[in-house]
Amino acid sequence: MKPAFALDHHRLLLCLGPGGVGKTTISAALGLRAALDGHATSLMTVDPAPRLLDALGLDTASPSLQSVDLHGLGARRGGRLHAMRVDPRQVFDRLIERYAPSPAARSAILTDRIYRSLAGALSGVADYMAMEQLLELTRDPADPSQPSSRVVVIDTPPALQALDFLDAPRRMLELLGSRAVTLLRPRGRAHSSDSERSPFRTAFSVLDLAARMVLGAFDRITGLNLLTDVQSFVRNFDGMYAGFAERAAAAQALIRAETSAIVVVTVAEPERVAHTQEFIASLTALDLHPAAIVVNRITTALPHESDLDGADLPPPLLRKLRRNLADFAALKRREATALDNLRMSLAKHSPILFAPDLGFEPRTLADLATIARHLRAPAELSRS
Amino acid sequence: MPPPRLIFITGKGGTGKSTAAAATALALVRHRPVLLVDLEQRQSAARLLGLASDGAETTPPRDELSADLTAMTLSPRAELEAFITRTVPLAAISRRMLKSRTFGYVTAALPGLEAFLMLERLRLLAGQAALEDRFVVIDAPATGHALELLAVARSLKQLAPTGTLNRLAHAVDQFICDGNRFGVLLMLTPAELALREALAAVSTMRSEGGITAVTAAINCVPAALFTVAEMMKVEAIPEHATLARRRRDLAHGASRARRELDRAGVPIIELPLIFAEGLNSVALERLSLTIAPALGLDH
Repeated sequence: MKPAFALDHHRLLLCLGPGGVGKTTISAALGLRAALDGHATSLMTVDPAPRLLDALGLDTASPSLQSVDLHGLGARRGGRLHAMRVDPRQVFDRLIERYAPSPAARSAILTDRIYRSLAGALSGVADYMAMEQLLELTRDPADPSQPSSRVVVIDTPPALQALDFLDAPRRMLELLGSRAVTLLRPRGRAHSSDSERSPFRTAFSVLDLAARMVLGAFDRITGLNLLTDVQSFVRNFDGMYAGFAERAAAAQALIRAETSAIVVVTVAEPERVAHTQEFIASLTALDLHPAAIVVNRITTALPHESDLDGADLPPPLLRKLRRNLADFAALKRREATALDNLRMSLAKHSPILFAPDLGFEPRTLADLATIARHLRAPAELSRS
Repeated sequence: MPPPRLIFITGKGGTGKSTAAAATALALVRHRPVLLVDLEQRQSAARLLGLASDGAETTPPRDELSADLTAMTLSPRAELEAFITRTVPLAAISRRMLKSRTFGYVTAALPGLEAFLMLERLRLLAGQAALEDRFVVIDAPATGHALELLAVARSLKQLAPTGTLNRLAHAVDQFICDGNRFGVLLMLTPAELALREALAAVSTMRSEGGITAVTAAINCVPAALFTVAEMMKVEAIPEHATLARRRRDLAHGASRARRELDRAGVPIIELPLIFAEGLNSVALERLSLTIAPALGLDH
């Protein structure tokens, strides 16, 4: 069985897609497939539900990479799989610890009200932190505390927009480096040593001053005390801009590297296909192209009606079987139409892979291995 | 008991939120005018009903039944702008403020603000609907985002201890806890994972949100076809036996979901799996007739 989409050429697989299509399952199946093919593989999920780690037989509470037992699955030599669940808050805290210019600055940030609400369960931060974790995994092959991997597979958070994840580093950078920072900075404060490289030293304009006054007025009306809070937040983050900028640039470079592949996961339902098409269009607008589309939960081929001819069963039961077949045939046609629509909107060179619907939810490593083995191009599917 | 003034429809991705929103709107519009609101700008429910929405309130199609059916979308950004314009007295200043990146920064630093203003808008829509005696149906985001949205009223109350926002946060909190004004329809499929997520979401909404009116809708429930004895006989034709099992497994999943939701004290609506190539108006009509009695509407 030769995969239509060669995992061997890629070092990083980014799984993107709308919610509810089984991204986590497909990420795991891709990771497992790479491991069974003989690659040292790491799998990262940001899914807050612990079910993937459960299926892989891992400790759901641990925040680090854990080894998956591939015994009995027939992995080729060298095939290993490590998996972890990213905790955005923990990664963010770690990032602060790494870049904070002083212990005092560090603890000031970690207890800051705005930081706490930023670092909480917010989707944008989760996206950014997944990216950050990814950098840790891919850029530190020499780090003895991390197992080195030939292939890294990442499951991204459910996205309202395709770009939520890919765009996260840039947005975070913009947030920290915006002119707002200049504006909100208390006047007359000495610049930190970092200020040469930071964009903080933009001059005030009359407009900025006006906006500042308005913000103050807004605070008085709403009772939010935003101005003071944001000022202290910005002051705390001062000196860390360069570190963040470097990471964000590295993340962007990583996504666009030759050895990175974007895998878009979807299912063959009309509504999801429409969503996926929008998704791919927004990727294309950024000059990013999916290396493969995985259509999850493709139902098995239907039996032939002729099997029922002359079958030794009571006529009422035969009628029911014919009705059952007709019912599922209608659903199969719906799936086929959705697939046709998807195909029409894709560039010819975008390979499509099908993942089978097991008829139940994958719960064990063996279930995932079944999906991994059956991940294949439609042509291969019809030949088999 | 009459249906809540505003029905907020959420659920895991792929459980049929938009379909249910369209069917609920159809069920309600037989009694009172309905406003169908999309929070994700995809307008899937409106499209299912043939309402061509372009962001503002639109005119309904020429169907007699839906003469009282209007659709609109809400965006967090527009709500924020409206709030600033209301709060900041000088138009020139509020316009300037919205353009400035400072403001983008502040709202990014306080991400609940936009979501909260969205909830405040829903409260106002429900109030307006009560005056006009009509219903509001919300095609809401998937469960995770919806829970974040519903949680902001409480967290904002703590963040803003005084002032306008605090007062608004109180009002919004009371609104989502009032079963006459705010009801959640939580969609799920017979799959086990969907059930687990739904049970967790119900418990979060009740305990952390204080939401009293949560109804679960189990979608894609197939009509049972085969008796146990028949299932045994079918084994003689393996491929067809597999297909019969698929149907049975879905039906079993649905009964398990029904049992567990029942145990959790959640009212349940069951929606049939429509075995059809596309979801046409006949199918939508059928779904709306299933939903109507569960909403306390008679024919």
